[in-house]
Amino acid sequence: MDVASFLQQCGIGITSGGFLGLIAVGYTLVYGTVGLIHFAHGDVVMLGGCLSLAILSFLVPVPVDPLTGCLVVVLAAACSGLFCGCLNICIDQFVYRPLRNAPPLSPLVSTIGVSFVLMNVGLIWIGPTDRAFPEIFLETTRSVGGFSIAMADLLVLVIVVPAVLCLYVLLRQTRFGRSLRSIAAITRVTARSGEAGKLVIATFFLSGFLGGVASVAAGVHATTINYQMGHQMGLYALTAAVLGGIGSVPGAIVGGLIVGLIRAISVAFLGPRWAIASVFLVLIIFLAFRPQGIFGKSKTRGGQR
Amino acid sequence: MRSNWFCPQNPPPFRLAWSVVVCLTIGLNTCGCQKIESNRVCLVSSLPRTGVSRQVSDEVVRGIRLAIDEVKEKAGRFTLEYRDLDNSAAASGRWTSEGEAANARMAVQDPNVMAYIGTLNSGAARVSMPILNYADLLMVSPANTAVGLTKPGLGLPGEPNVYRPSGKLNYIRVVPADDLQGPLAADWAFERGVRRVFVIDDAGVYGRGVASLFADRCREQGMAVLEHVSIDPQAAEFKSFVGSVMSADPDLIYFGGSARTKGGQLARDLVSAESEAILLVSDGCRTKAFLEAAGAASLEGRCFATSAGLSPEQADCNEKLLFLRYRQKYGTCPSNAAIHGYEAARLVIRAIADVGVKDRRAIVESAFASQVDDGVLGQWGIDANGDTTLQEVSVSVVRGGEFVHEEVMSTAGIGKKNGSR
Amino acid sequence: MLALAPWFYPALAGGLGGQMTSVLIICIAALGLNVMVGFTGFLHLGIASFFGLGGLFLAILTVPMNPLEIGFLPAVFVSVGLTAAIGTLLGSPTLRLRGEYLAIVTLGFGEVVRVLFLNLENVTGGTQGLGPIPPPGSGIFVTGIDLGREFVVDSRWFYYLSLIALFVVVLLVRVLEKSALGRAWIAVREEPLAAATIGISATKVRLSAFTIAAAIAGLAGCLSVASIGTTGDPNAFGFNRSVAILCAVIIGGLGSIPGTLVGVTILFGFDIVVIPSVDSWMQRIQGQVFDVSLFTLGSWRLALVGIALIVVMRFRPIGLIPSRRFAAEFQESKQ
Repeated sequence: MDVASFLQQCGIGITSGGFLGLIAVGYTLVYGTVGLIHFAHGDVVMLGGCLSLAILSFLVPVPVDPLTGCLVVVLAAACSGLFCGCLNICIDQFVYRPLRNAPPLSPLVSTIGVSFVLMNVGLIWIGPTDRAFPEIFLETTRSVGGFSIAMADLLVLVIVVPAVLCLYVLLRQTRFGRSLRSIAAITRVTARSGEAGKLVIATFFLSGFLGGVASVAAGVHATTINYQMGHQMGLYALTAAVLGGIGSVPGAIVGGLIVGLIRAISVAFLGPRWAIASVFLVLIIFLAFRPQGIFGKSKTRGGQR
Repeated sequence: MRSNWFCPQNPPPFRLAWSVVVCLTIGLNTCGCQKIESNRVCLVSSLPRTGVSRQVSDEVVRGIRLAIDEVKEKAGRFTLEYRDLDNSAAASGRWTSEGEAANARMAVQDPNVMAYIGTLNSGAARVSMPILNYADLLMVSPANTAVGLTKPGLGLPGEPNVYRPSGKLNYIRVVPADDLQGPLAADWAFERGVRRVFVIDDAGVYGRGVASLFADRCREQGMAVLEHVSIDPQAAEFKSFVGSVMSADPDLIYFGGSARTKGGQLARDLVSAESEAILLVSDGCRTKAFLEAAGAASLEGRCFATSAGLSPEQADCNEKLLFLRYRQKYGTCPSNAAIHGYEAARLVIRAIADVGVKDRRAIVESAFASQVDDGVLGQWGIDANGDTTLQEVSVSVVRGGEFVHEEVMSTAGIGKKNGSR
Repeated sequence: MLALAPWFYPALAGGLGGQMTSVLIICIAALGLNVMVGFTGFLHLGIASFFGLGGLFLAILTVPMNPLEIGFLPAVFVSVGLTAAIGTLLGSPTLRLRGEYLAIVTLGFGEVVRVLFLNLENVTGGTQGLGPIPPPGSGIFVTGIDLGREFVVDSRWFYYLSLIALFVVVLLVRVLEKSALGRAWIAVREEPLAAATIGISATKVRLSAFTIAAAIAGLAGCLSVASIGTTGDPNAFGFNRSVAILCAVIIGGLGSIPGTLVGVTILFGFDIVVIPSVDSWMQRIQGQVFDVSLFTLGSWRLALVGIALIVVMRFRPIGLIPSRRFAAEFQESKQ
């Protein structure tokens, strides 16, 4: 394989890793605040994709020029993000909140229940077949310095990079962000109301919002969505979150990029059937040496679930 | 506390509710066609009825129902009852071996069932064939094309005898197998001047089989088979993979599989990577679902599909009486799947009517001896292996958002050069 | 034991026997998972892969296309042993990890096994699976009846076989629970420091639970694959299956044997038994049933299961029939 193709594969890996990272941040945020693996997150993202499909099909029935296209996509991302954020809050308030004091594995079953319900909603909404995203741009590729970049991939970057930057600003500079980080570093939130409660709501909203934004990127990248995509993407994103150190936001982003890269490279070298196995093998081997993930902190409480 | 060491909560009302639930489920299940009735015969079909495959299985079922309506639900002195069984699971939207095995066992254990029309997927047939064979139940498939199911020496070692544990045959299919479709597709490609092919399949029984046969024939014809790769049918997209396909620079890309196993997504990714190669897909992709998933507009004129038998658009939809009746009932022209479902059901109904008694073995033998002169597919019979004697494969092209018939390929025997129209 | 009595009744109904066999087999696998998650408290997200491995080994050992072709019972023993060995191999390096990480590792292992299943076709047959698997008793003739044929054609044989296996496993788990090992599991779960001071090695104890879970799941896999006839679809041994079994165990009540059985029967019984019955009943009434639209029962299948899960957890988070120990713990933690 020559250098140009290799770099192209890396490019694909990084773009897919970008939105995987955003979804992984969703998992990590929720885990950091309420100690729950929100298995339904992938399906929330899938529903965001359904919504953005509807919006884009409505706004862009024929391909348009790059500027309008980008604006439309950003708009779709924002709407989808709002939708997913609110959906996440609803899920938390109605399903997870009553279970804050339940035995540790019971909320897990609820997340799976929610996942099934959302998947069914997706099935009814878009049907069982793959649904195609509309062509947004007139030209599908553009040459930059000798490489041809797909406009779709540029679009993904346009969505993902600002999202990550805003996230960074949010977490570092605002009061909300600081309290989020301090909570994640110390303990898990179990209180039902008050400051902590508001924090939980905000966390769920944020994770949903990022997921919604990522769904648009995923749809543009893969050009199709189907009602089962939440599961596969969710699995990769969860792996990314764990790889980066669950509870750590930068870890989730970095984990996402790494997972995307591993996937693309293993498809190129080993063939498409080994992609998911490679990702998990890397994860398992990595965890054997550094169980807390890349940015995670090793806790000394042994035997703690 | 001690007496309740097994169930710490208060058990009696719970156990009572439990027994009631169990009895209810028994009741629900036993009021099926379980009792032996002298004048009713049950016809069962086992197809994937959820998910992407539903479009195709709907058409097969329509064909079957049309055949039953034609004879006004009577086969000789028997009244026909038809049960449409699902061998798929809701969450996965594809056939499962548990579902297929359960359907086969249910058919076998019901003494009124005299024929089993199934399956759509060759992989599912491998599960139910031994079960049905032990019970001597006639099995007619409207769509299985994997060679190993009937033809000795072409499939895995031991096929097809492993599917006939009782030693006798009970399986018939009304479509020509892939030992026709694969090689004729290669001949067609050779005629078009293709010299470099990249072969892809979905790793399933059917997809891998037809792709391998295609690749073998390509090599025989002297074409360069650059690579033969299986994709992961669960992947969301194939951008990375498509990159490696492009760098091999093929003239033609072949895909053995279906829309359910991501044929459409693969086609879409190939087109968006600006591949200039011709795309040739097997009959599993000759469906609406594939065109929708791939984006029919982008495939215009460059995507071809093979299908077993004659393609329906060949015959004028207004001509044949059957097509008219189908259109009357369902509003559209019948597709390939519907026609084969219809022929399969007709074969079964005739066999049942001819035999006149509820003897499964006799019905099987009668079916094997069938000769069809007045069907939509032309004249055909069943050979000693259970295959149809039809030997035609059609090639269609995507035009105007649909598959349009292009040419017919046929051969009198495998290994000869093609005899196209 | 009385809770199991009603299962004798459906033995006579033909079609139901096959479906109940599947449910019984999953009960066995769920009991294995219960040993791991319920008794030691560690989350295990890959039980279905051990289920699949057990089936795979059985298939490799008995399928006519391979030279080995040993009989059913010896093949079962060997498969279970091999699966347990793999459990030990996976468990020894990873059981030092904290809970969440172990969960992810088991998840990852499950996916890797699924992919290996799919891709190592020479060994596993890929998506086509290995088959047909000769049924137990093939070639054995008793009073002129070919036992093998009976197993294939009449679901009651496999039903009874699975029922017997389930009894054996229930007894085994019960015995283990009351034994020194069982107490060690509980000690390690509740008071790891105290357990360490009296010399119980947490890792070794967890490893034993992990291995036993793997072995029991392997047994279930053998039965499943034999009753279906092929290893068929490797995706049936993936994450979704593991998660479904886990849900069944949690809904029934962690650590409680009757709870697990109830949980599996409700969750899987719904999908395997009730849904096809309702479908055929509705078909008799109205003809077409398979449209995916807002107004048919079939298209809301998933959501119904999901809502059932949510509702059960909301109102009975410790499970339907919790073990006394868990109930007591929960009471304590509430105060």
